[in-house]
Amino acid sequence: MNSRQTLPYTFLVPTILVLMVLAFVPLGYAINISFQDRTLISPNSSYIGFENYIDLFSDRRFKNALWVSFKWEIITVTSTMIAAVGLGVLMFETLKPRTRNLMCLVFLIPVLLPRVSAAFVWSFAFHPLYGIVTYPYRAITGKPLDLLTNPDTALFAVAFVDLWQWGFFFAVIVLKLLESLPPQPLEAARLDYAKTWQIHAFITWPMLKAPLVSLALVKAIESLRSFDLVYIMTRGGPGITTETLDMYAFSQGFIEAGKISYASSMAVIMMVLTVVIFTFIWKRVRT
Amino acid sequence: MKSTFSKLATSTAASAMVLGSLSVGAITLTPQAAVADGHAVCSKPVQILAQPRDGLTLLEEYASEFEELSGASFQIDYLNEGDRRAKSQADAATIGNYNVYYVDEANLALFASSGWIAPLLDHYPEEYDYNDFDPGRIATATYDGTVYFAPILGGGDLMVYRKDLLEAAGIEPPTTLEELKAAVEALHDPDNGIYGIGLRGQRGSGANVWRWMPYFKGMGGEWFDADGNAAMNSEAGIMATETYLELFRYSAPGTQTGSWDESTGAFRAGQIALIIESAPLGGITLDESQSQVADLVGFARPPAPLTGGGFGHGFAIGTRANADDAALDCAGLWAAWATSKENEMRRLEAGQAGELNRLSVIGSDLFAETFGTELPAALADTAEVTAVNFWQDARWQELGGQWGIILEELITGTRDDVPAALAELEEFANDLVE
Amino acid sequence: MKASHIIGKAFLALMAFIVLFPIFWTALNAFKVNADILVTTPKFVFEPTFDNIAYVLSRNSVMAALTNSLVISLTSVVIGIALGLPAAYAVARYPNRWTEEIQFFVLSLRFLPPVAVAIPLMVIWLNLGLYDSWTAMIATYSLLTISITIWLAVPAFQQVPKAIEEAARVDGYGAYAVFLKIALPVAMKTLIGAIAFSFVLIWNEFLIALMLTTGKAKTLPIVASEMSQVGMDVPWGILNAAVILLSIPPLLLLGLLSGFMNSMFSNKSR
Repeated sequence: MNSRQTLPYTFLVPTILVLMVLAFVPLGYAINISFQDRTLISPNSSYIGFENYIDLFSDRRFKNALWVSFKWEIITVTSTMIAAVGLGVLMFETLKPRTRNLMCLVFLIPVLLPRVSAAFVWSFAFHPLYGIVTYPYRAITGKPLDLLTNPDTALFAVAFVDLWQWGFFFAVIVLKLLESLPPQPLEAARLDYAKTWQIHAFITWPMLKAPLVSLALVKAIESLRSFDLVYIMTRGGPGITTETLDMYAFSQGFIEAGKISYASSMAVIMMVLTVVIFTFIWKRVRT
Repeated sequence: MKSTFSKLATSTAASAMVLGSLSVGAITLTPQAAVADGHAVCSKPVQILAQPRDGLTLLEEYASEFEELSGASFQIDYLNEGDRRAKSQADAATIGNYNVYYVDEANLALFASSGWIAPLLDHYPEEYDYNDFDPGRIATATYDGTVYFAPILGGGDLMVYRKDLLEAAGIEPPTTLEELKAAVEALHDPDNGIYGIGLRGQRGSGANVWRWMPYFKGMGGEWFDADGNAAMNSEAGIMATETYLELFRYSAPGTQTGSWDESTGAFRAGQIALIIESAPLGGITLDESQSQVADLVGFARPPAPLTGGGFGHGFAIGTRANADDAALDCAGLWAAWATSKENEMRRLEAGQAGELNRLSVIGSDLFAETFGTELPAALADTAEVTAVNFWQDARWQELGGQWGIILEELITGTRDDVPAALAELEEFANDLVE
Repeated sequence: MKASHIIGKAFLALMAFIVLFPIFWTALNAFKVNADILVTTPKFVFEPTFDNIAYVLSRNSVMAALTNSLVISLTSVVIGIALGLPAAYAVARYPNRWTEEIQFFVLSLRFLPPVAVAIPLMVIWLNLGLYDSWTAMIATYSLLTISITIWLAVPAFQQVPKAIEEAARVDGYGAYAVFLKIALPVAMKTLIGAIAFSFVLIWNEFLIALMLTTGKAKTLPIVASEMSQVGMDVPWGILNAAVILLSIPPLLLLGLLSGFMNSMFSNKSR
């Protein structure tokens, strides 16, 4: 056997084996403990069949968490995509290449910040009495503005931080995509005095549709990671209005009662839902 | 066990005043004679999981003293109350990293019955004189007849009010719940930055539930009836909850999802007219470095029929991290040293009134000089209404945690049916004890 | 210049302000005493204090967490490189009916909710006696670093001109030598960006670290999040200082990552 035949195996087999062990052992374990009544506190546990799953469907906090997570996905994905396309096109149309590069550097900063940092930075800014964002409102009305403890605004305030991190980052990607388009059709259209919006609607959009859809999908996947922001900024509150699935699973498994098995059954449902939904969408989009 | 805890009622200063007066002037500030030579020498740094306390920050300045005493350093990891409870429980249940845990009245039953902490006095050097602690504190630190922790703070509830605002409005300090409601409503003046009251809205057995319980128990509520069935959805439960929600309309901004820090912070910043909070607030409001209203406050017992929430926090010896007797002794030495008379006196000298637990300290001249007579008298008075409000069971935190979330929903207005909320809690409680 | 251009530029300038100002403000607050932070009218002029930074840097827990974070992040990134780069190269250069499936499998690992991985791993590490240890954290994070490295390195290897590799082969290089001596150095510029991405991802990770550590192996994000209360009040200045400290390493890599984005996209147009 020559080296060209062996290389794919020596390079792929160990890596894939390691990945499979690291991924499938915990998943198998998650399914296993979800059928038990294991808690952190008590050392004993036994198998209880589907009881955890049955309990979940009469658990109003679980149903609420499903709904909050769904809202979270919709809000963060749409707002990020709108901001990304808007800012990307705006940079493409108004800035010279050198300023563009500088702007890209600036716009990359939020996504690089640890989410813990971003959450704190904005928690300070949103502080009802001392925050810099709430300052204009306080100065004008003389009243405090409490965005994070108001059930109507809390989810949006947290989602705003997600938008702040991802919207600017995706704007940079959209700009890079625009820059990578063949310039001839755009120039031809400009020579024909087409309006800017017409150029983008009729020429760039058809070319960029596919990458933008992929981008939206990537964002949808990344949006599943809402925990850090929610945990730092609201802990799922006020009440349970910002309690997403991962926040609730963490609460059950760690904060409130250490019900690992119950949390595990929730995690299994999440896993099945996301893997099935995203695999389906991904395969469809890609073919 | 009930009887041990009922001793709480005679808590704090009441007994302190009597016994303490005998020992006035007996205080000496020389470091305590070196602990039992070779009896508790530490081989490794002591790891402590605690919640932030001014007294502990002060203690860190004297780290070298402990090092000399024991031969080892110590490191305190701080977490706020909710996180400290969650993480110490997770840590103790799993790997047990910490030599010393900060425990409290709410999780003592769980920690002790699970064997996560060791009986304190087996490893507590006698020289530190455990019996110098206030009997109320000792009662809170006792589970099933065994003492488990060395107190860092505790007490009942105290009403603290702004004399200037009450006088200006011609209102006497309320002594009943009806008067309280009227006073809070009358004093509430948000346009001028004054809010009637400061409550706790944040979820948690030690947060919103803690403040709500005095209404529940004061109105005659019980967690479980004689047959062991959950009984929160009673007339008392509904009335207590509705009263609490009604008062919340006058509570300072930020308290709807805030706890002790937010509400006492607003009081100390001069934004609240009247507040009923855990007793250590009294001393804190008199400390000018921490309070903008130090000259303006008066103290009284909580209005009838509210019961004061008796509580106590302190240091207990972890069992997992301390594998042998030497390690247990070392942890015991740290707990003893951290709560020693010398360290309490240092706190007193630094004006930290919230964390004094020893009769000899509360009875000292310096204490009287620093806090005058009004606060000690009020503290003695509150002791009469101090009671055990929570359900004394290892599962209390789970029950309290559940009610905390429901109560937070009620407070922030995302649900409004009080009887349905209490019915949900009852169902949860019945499942829990099944 | 058209009016719409001026408005557009002004709007972008405002956006840049929204990006930078909150961070700048946090950094500024790290140098304030509490009394200068807890004011209703924000203060821009104040007497700077270094106490907050000094406090954060003097805490044993912060130093321990910094060490933990560095050791855990760097080791898992190295494992990601060692196992991820060869696999990515094989996928990029030796496509067959399996490689597409492998690529999708690697991607689908990202679909997994972290909490679904963390809960069972907590039990597993507890059973093995490895809970709250470097080993457990590194093994767990390697799943992330290997998959992200493969994901980002496949296009980087695809961008290496095939002609160069062919030429090397003609010169008598074997397949492994082509990878090590030709493909790797040529793709290096892009690969470094990919590696930096995986480092940032691990450095910033929070949920898994929160569930898999309680003391010894705590990482910096956990310790920073725990700083939200010291003493009776929220120590705003100290917390701000901790947030800034935590954010510095990822920001230091900004230039590298921006370069990575450029090379990933610039070649697409070819």
